Amino acid sequence: MAPKQRNAAAQTPPPSSTAPPTRAPAWTPSPPTTTPKPSLSKPTTTTTTGAGGGVQTWDKIINNVLSHYLDTTPQRTKLLDAFMVFLVAVGALQFVYCVLAGNYPFNAFLSGFAATVGQFVLTASLRIQTTEANKGDFPCVSPERAFADYVVCSLILHFFCVNFIN
Amino acid sequence: MSLGFCFQSSFSANPILLFAGFESIIHEFDPWFNFRATKYLVANGFYNFWDWFDDRTWHPLGRVTGGTLYPGLMVTSGVIYHALRALTIPVDIRNVCVLLAPGFSGLTAIAAYLLTNEMTPSPSAGLLAALFMGIAPGYISRSVAGSYDNEAIAIFLLVFTFYLWIKALKQGSMLWGALCALFYGYMVASWGGYAFITCLLPLHAFVLVCMGRYSTRLYVAYTTWYALGTLASMQIPFVGFLPVKTSEHMPALGIFGFLQLLAFLDYVRSAIPSRQFQTFLWLFAGAAFGLGLLGLVIATSAGFIAPWSGRFYSLFDTGYAKIHIPIIASVSEHQPTAWPAFFFDLNMLIWLFPVGVYLCFQQLADEHVFIVVYALFGSYFAGVMVRLMLTLTPVVCIAAAIAVSALLDTYLSVKSPKPEENQAVEGAEGKKAAKSGLKATNKPVVGVYTTWGKGMIVSALAVYLLLFVLHCTWVTSNAYSSPSVVLASRLPDGSQHIIDDYREAYQWLRQNTREDAKIMSWWDYGYQIGGMADRPTLVDNNTWNNTHIATVGKAMSSSEEVSYPIMRQHEVDYVLVVFGGLLGYSGDDINKFLWMVRIAEGIWPEEVSERAFFTPRGEYRVDGEATETMKNSLMYKMSYYNYNNLFPAGQAVDRMRGARLPEVGPTLSTLEEAFTSENWIIRIYKVKDLDNLGRDHSSAAAFERGHKKKKVTKKRGPRVLRVD
Amino acid sequence: MRSLFSLFLFLFAAVVSAISASGNRLLVILEDVAEKTNYSKFLGDLESRGFQISFEVPKSESLALFHLGERSYDHIILFPTKAKGLGPNLTPNILVDFMNAQGNILVALTSDLPTPTSLVSLLAELDIQLPADRTGLVVDHFHYDALSSPDMHDVLLLPPPSATTRPDVKDFFGAGAGRDDDIIAFARGVGAVLGSSELLTPVLRAPRTAYSYNPKEQSEVVDDLFAAGEQLALVSAFQARNSARFTLVGSAEMLQDKWFDAEVSKVGEKKAVKTFNREFAKRVSGWTFNEIGVLRVNWIEHHLDEAGATNESNPKIYRIKNDVKYTISLSEYSWTTWNPFTLPGDDALQLEFSMLSPFHRLPLTLDAAHSSDSASAYSVSFRLPDQHGIFNFLVNYKRPFLSNVEEKNTVSVRHMAHNEWPRSFVISGAWPWIAGLGVTVAGWLAFCALWMYSAPVGGKRESKKTQ
Repeated sequence: MAPKQRNAAAQTPPPSSTAPPTRAPAWTPSPPTTTPKPSLSKPTTTTTTGAGGGVQTWDKIINNVLSHYLDTTPQRTKLLDAFMVFLVAVGALQFVYCVLAGNYPFNAFLSGFAATVGQFVLTASLRIQTTEANKGDFPCVSPERAFADYVVCSLILHFFCVNFIN
Repeated sequence: MSLGFCFQSSFSANPILLFAGFESIIHEFDPWFNFRATKYLVANGFYNFWDWFDDRTWHPLGRVTGGTLYPGLMVTSGVIYHALRALTIPVDIRNVCVLLAPGFSGLTAIAAYLLTNEMTPSPSAGLLAALFMGIAPGYISRSVAGSYDNEAIAIFLLVFTFYLWIKALKQGSMLWGALCALFYGYMVASWGGYAFITCLLPLHAFVLVCMGRYSTRLYVAYTTWYALGTLASMQIPFVGFLPVKTSEHMPALGIFGFLQLLAFLDYVRSAIPSRQFQTFLWLFAGAAFGLGLLGLVIATSAGFIAPWSGRFYSLFDTGYAKIHIPIIASVSEHQPTAWPAFFFDLNMLIWLFPVGVYLCFQQLADEHVFIVVYALFGSYFAGVMVRLMLTLTPVVCIAAAIAVSALLDTYLSVKSPKPEENQAVEGAEGKKAAKSGLKATNKPVVGVYTTWGKGMIVSALAVYLLLFVLHCTWVTSNAYSSPSVVLASRLPDGSQHIIDDYREAYQWLRQNTREDAKIMSWWDYGYQIGGMADRPTLVDNNTWNNTHIATVGKAMSSSEEVSYPIMRQHEVDYVLVVFGGLLGYSGDDINKFLWMVRIAEGIWPEEVSERAFFTPRGEYRVDGEATETMKNSLMYKMSYYNYNNLFPAGQAVDRMRGARLPEVGPTLSTLEEAFTSENWIIRIYKVKDLDNLGRDHSSAAAFERGHKKKKVTKKRGPRVLRVD
Repeated sequence: MRSLFSLFLFLFAAVVSAISASGNRLLVILEDVAEKTNYSKFLGDLESRGFQISFEVPKSESLALFHLGERSYDHIILFPTKAKGLGPNLTPNILVDFMNAQGNILVALTSDLPTPTSLVSLLAELDIQLPADRTGLVVDHFHYDALSSPDMHDVLLLPPPSATTRPDVKDFFGAGAGRDDDIIAFARGVGAVLGSSELLTPVLRAPRTAYSYNPKEQSEVVDDLFAAGEQLALVSAFQARNSARFTLVGSAEMLQDKWFDAEVSKVGEKKAVKTFNREFAKRVSGWTFNEIGVLRVNWIEHHLDEAGATNESNPKIYRIKNDVKYTISLSEYSWTTWNPFTLPGDDALQLEFSMLSPFHRLPLTLDAAHSSDSASAYSVSFRLPDQHGIFNFLVNYKRPFLSNVEEKNTVSVRHMAHNEWPRSFVISGAWPWIAGLGVTVAGWLAFCALWMYSAPVGGKRESKKTQ
């Protein structure tokens, strides 16, 4: 469970700062310079130096990324991202509660948590399918169809979860 | 049109072959339980079936049947039955059950057609695959009428799930992924072999990722399938929490997490392209994968996740089961496959199979990778366990069809100068050529443009195909369509002689014993006794309780004095043994006896010892040289009791083992012979009640035989005084 | 209702055969039919109690214990005979078959005649040993009858038996003897040694000073003693597992008229007293022929003992952890009537709820509400174990002199059905996750609404995409 949760959290770095900070320096310097940097060839060393040296530029970078994100992301995708953040929060809450309070009605925990995770991956799929850049990957899936698929899949998911929670 | 024909042929071939010899009857062992469960479902409705507590098996433990079976098969036939009734077609549930397997084999052919069509642009490949699927003996063994087993529908679901998976992967569509998940759920509801899918799809995804073929389509297809499929599988009571608790399901979960990671990294990469960064990403992904694996190992050793079950260990080490879990090894279907079996079950397909796989390598799109992975995976497991030949058959059919269609497409090319001649050959080929002949392949064929050469090859192939059909027909009619409860033999004059001892004995039980008379027999016959004789049994083919089976094994392999209390405790009324000595029938209990001993020894090593059943020279004998333990065992006594009377004095011979039996046959004091079938295959004994006068059974039996009790007044040793 | 009906039924049955609980056809085997005059009082007593007596000699052609597989008689008395065997119609196997068919046998021996081999074999099967060479005589030099055998010391005077050894045994033979000087005369009898079979019980033992010897061979010196003291059983009772009864009376003479009326006097006592033999013979024969000590199970009822349930009688199936009540109604036959069965002293009637081994073993207590003047009901309430399977309600009450009660009622105990578990919303621990699920679904709905609402905003891009 744990890795999945962490991954789920890591899935949505752009809208928020949920991405682990250790990883952030590795890529945050990159946006301005698209050319390869020789100094970054060893990631383990650069993480420390990046974290140590780039404190003053930290705000700037985040601002940069945010503005980049706000500028280039369509509004519906933002909506998607917001929903995904929401799901991550709900999922994390459930998981933390499970760790703290135990998973006594195991089926309830599983279905509650699985609903959130499942909803999350479905939403991520929707996001992938509706992103302009990925259009080439999905010749047969128009955004409308993607949304219809999404609704159908979500309904199936919810049915199973409600049934399983008994 | 031609697809319809294929469907028709595969559909109709089987029942006809079957009905030629026998009436409409359920085969083998497991189908009898499925049939009984279906009857219960039809009679009592779904919810009662779900909560079914079966007090007529595993006496006195009972079996929570509703929660420990895969209900897909029964529910399917129940739905068909009710649908037909709703359409005012009066059918008997038995006929629905008997004909379910052939019906589904037709659907399997269609699924194979669809799946193959995803692989190659040539339409003939799909048709050939459907045809092969319809008649390959490896599959027909489970699709003949009367073979009412989980596999009957599971293979269709397997192939169809794979088709949906390929479809979802190709299109990157959530809907196809969801459909795939739903059919996966149906598969889980139908057969324990669903773990094959659970492992194969993640493996495919993993191989794709390793090949650098990660795509957003893969992400969409896989995550949709996993999220919905896992939830769907957890709805089945028997599966329950297993998908998150056992090791078999962990690869799927691991790949799920891994794909999340990849998707995130992929997203990052698309935002910030950088070559060094890419290497870092892969490093990171590798580290995460390793960490996940480590976590899995730790969680398993700490007990959060159940370790691999014994059946799975035996998949990797064929000797494992024999040492640790004799009950698994004792099933003939769990033995490693003998090499001839591959040829017997697949015939020509087995050498076309590598060609097909090779052709897949040539193109190597995502779906071809799937075929390659499936082929490797399936071949390995089919080699380990006879039963898993079934999962290999579809991919063999598909690969062989790809190979044959490539050949035909090449050599039936209309580009050649004289198409009329080819048309003549196509006449022999039938409908396949008619379609494929119109389609020219793009591949350059060097040096074989001559009509003669083409004709040679095509006609050779046609002969092969015809031979294949002949082989399949022969195998099906000889090996797979006999119901095994009815044995067929040839008399010297060549006429067929039906040996119907099983049904005779079960009928006797049904008519001559109390409704709740408990029958003890080895577990092989449990389902049949429950289904045909309708009597409670101690153990049956659902081998969920090893100790209980070992108890029966101990009762069979111990002397009467030890067995009797066991039988009393379990309230056994009758004991049933199968004896093939008179007829030379090899599947009898004396031949299975060592497994009973081994299983009993696994639980009671001090009381039962396999060694004691072998002569000092290490032979397993039943004649005069047999060990005392063997001669005193209940199984031996029950098998050979009164057998001497059939022969002139001193001439008794066990025809199965070719052994001359000792002159004096065994005596039984705690059991009395109740029934012996016509050919002595089934022998039923009644367990005596405790002696009315409080004697032990051997002295009571001696008294019955007229032996006077020895005068005890003169006995030596200290006098026993009564103390009350 | 049910109990009333069965009560009525059994009362009716009791009237029809008022003498014995199991039929009144009595066969008496004698050496010579004329000999019956010796036993006229004993047989007269039996006849007056309602038995129909037939007399036969062992070698008779017409003698057959079975007719077409059915018993021709309900009870047999075997008086001593001279022959070495008892002929083809009374072989030990036939006698065993007779007992297996619930026939009762009373055997009387005498030291004057060697016991027939047929009987010796039968007794050996019952784990009763007779002295060597089929002859023996019990003598006691301290407890003999001074009037009749001052020299031979072979008429023993014994007090009536008392059931003091075991608290759970009802005293059928010595009870109510009244006067302390009631004395049983045991004349010229054979003593037997009982094996350790639990079906055997001595009724009358020899005094500590008695011993058995062979008067023909050991008249001079007793070198090899067969048995002595209390190991010698003079009257013994055997009750087979099917409650068929067998009684061995060592002295046939004690049943004869002369000892019924005789007066005896103990050693050292001048006073002569009348023997207790007539009453004792009545009790021994009455016990053997099912007139006393017969238990009957009138009905057994078990039902679900839970509020709100239908609580129908004797269901085939229960669920684990159900509360269940079990009741059994017992009557005891005493000479002419069925009476409520009361447990002797410290004894307990127990119910086992068992599968392979008992999961519960509970004492049953008297349930006055279901008892009547001819039957007493015993009941117990308990909770079924948390284990599904096929269980037995088992009452296994076997005591000496009381007929066996072994009642097994099989029920299935099923697991919890899928809808009998508490729902998630009942379990407070599940609320957070229900909330999680609810929030997810609600969020999804909101998201879908927003998504569709926001469609026009992205309209231009959408239209571009769909082109």
